[in-house]
Amino acid sequence: MTAKLTPPTAGGIPEAEYRQIATVLRTGLAAALALMLGALVVYLAVHPRTTFGEALGSNPLPALLGLDAFGAALGSGRPEAFLTLGILVLIATPAARVLSGFLYFRRAGERVLAAITLTVLVLVILGLVVLGPFVR
Amino acid sequence: MELLEFVLLLALTGIVAGVVGSLTGLGGAVVVIPVLAVAFNVPFPVAAGTGLLTVLATSSTTGAAYVRDRLSDLRIGMFLEIATVPGALVGATATVFLVRRSLNDDLLIALGAVLLAILAGTVLALRAARPATEGPDRVARALRLEGAYYDEAEGRTVPYAAHRTGGALGVAFAAGLVSGMFGIGGGVFKVHALERFLGLPMKVATATSNLMIGITAAAGAGVLLAAGYINPYLGAPAALGTALGAYLGSTLLPGLRNQTVRLLFLPVVGALALEVILRGLGLA
Repeated sequence: MTAKLTPPTAGGIPEAEYRQIATVLRTGLAAALALMLGALVVYLAVHPRTTFGEALGSNPLPALLGLDAFGAALGSGRPEAFLTLGILVLIATPAARVLSGFLYFRRAGERVLAAITLTVLVLVILGLVVLGPFVR
Repeated sequence: MELLEFVLLLALTGIVAGVVGSLTGLGGAVVVIPVLAVAFNVPFPVAAGTGLLTVLATSSTTGAAYVRDRLSDLRIGMFLEIATVPGALVGATATVFLVRRSLNDDLLIALGAVLLAILAGTVLALRAARPATEGPDRVARALRLEGAYYDEAEGRTVPYAAHRTGGALGVAFAAGLVSGMFGIGGGVFKVHALERFLGLPMKVATATSNLMIGITAAAGAGVLLAAGYINPYLGAPAALGTALGAYLGSTLLPGLRNQTVRLLFLPVVGALALEVILRGLGLA
């Protein structure tokens, strides 16, 4: 009988942290795909005659970028809002992974890597809430 | 064309792109973006935004497996993200400004050139030997950018330590710039930074790059989304198809993951790159 070899952890980070990050990625991806698939099916069922040209020319996303408009669209069950939510979850998934890394480095007392991960997170958020709207 | 028909076609393209992307290591966006731009006449920034969503789907699909297997080096990956993320923000912003100046066609030509450069880099990487091992530099020592992994094929534990961190940060920034600007993962450039500059073993470099392309794509996608260039009717089917294709490519077809198959698919990407250039030149 051969004993199962456990690979050493790359980067000296504990196995539990790797498991947690894998879970974050899997959960985020599953949630994003489920939201997008469900919303897409509902949208196509409700709007069966929409053409590709109409869909390309009438992007609903810019109108949903405000918190109030987005909340109202979600509340009224509009499939476009859930499509957008799926895309936001897809984008947020690697950011959640970075957040998990930041929390680990902070707990471990690794100030430089904690600062780096926090900076990365802040930059991603700034791109979405400051840079993107600025260049719109 | 009705939207349902387009959604099915794009999802199918995404599946093929996901399989090809995972087999070649190039990611699905190198197929999805040219197909959208050439076959469906989708404006460049919208195609790029869709491409970034496919990168996100691929990265989370395969990244979770690499992290679970502890092949990704979280410490080194997060260190280099300090360069790839600003690069992606600059790249995506540049694309928005260039599109505003009606430089769509020039962006297409540049995309085709970048795809051809990626192909050349991939072919060279297939032939290249492992870089010579150097000792860790000052930054690598301070941040403990080192580790070890168990290589099942070799049956032994392979230790490694990063070096030349300055050069790696420069290449990582360029990789982020390309990713944000053109909507592709830029994994080839990141693997280059990790393997050639930091001196990581190829398996660790590939796995770590896969993790990094997710947050890099998220930065670029955030800018394009807020600027109004991500269309959910395109992004959702492309991401769904690519995630499925990447899953199929990485789990159901492990026997095909070899250099011969990679070389078989590379001409497909090359043909798409030439098609994009011709479209940019007004010849297609």
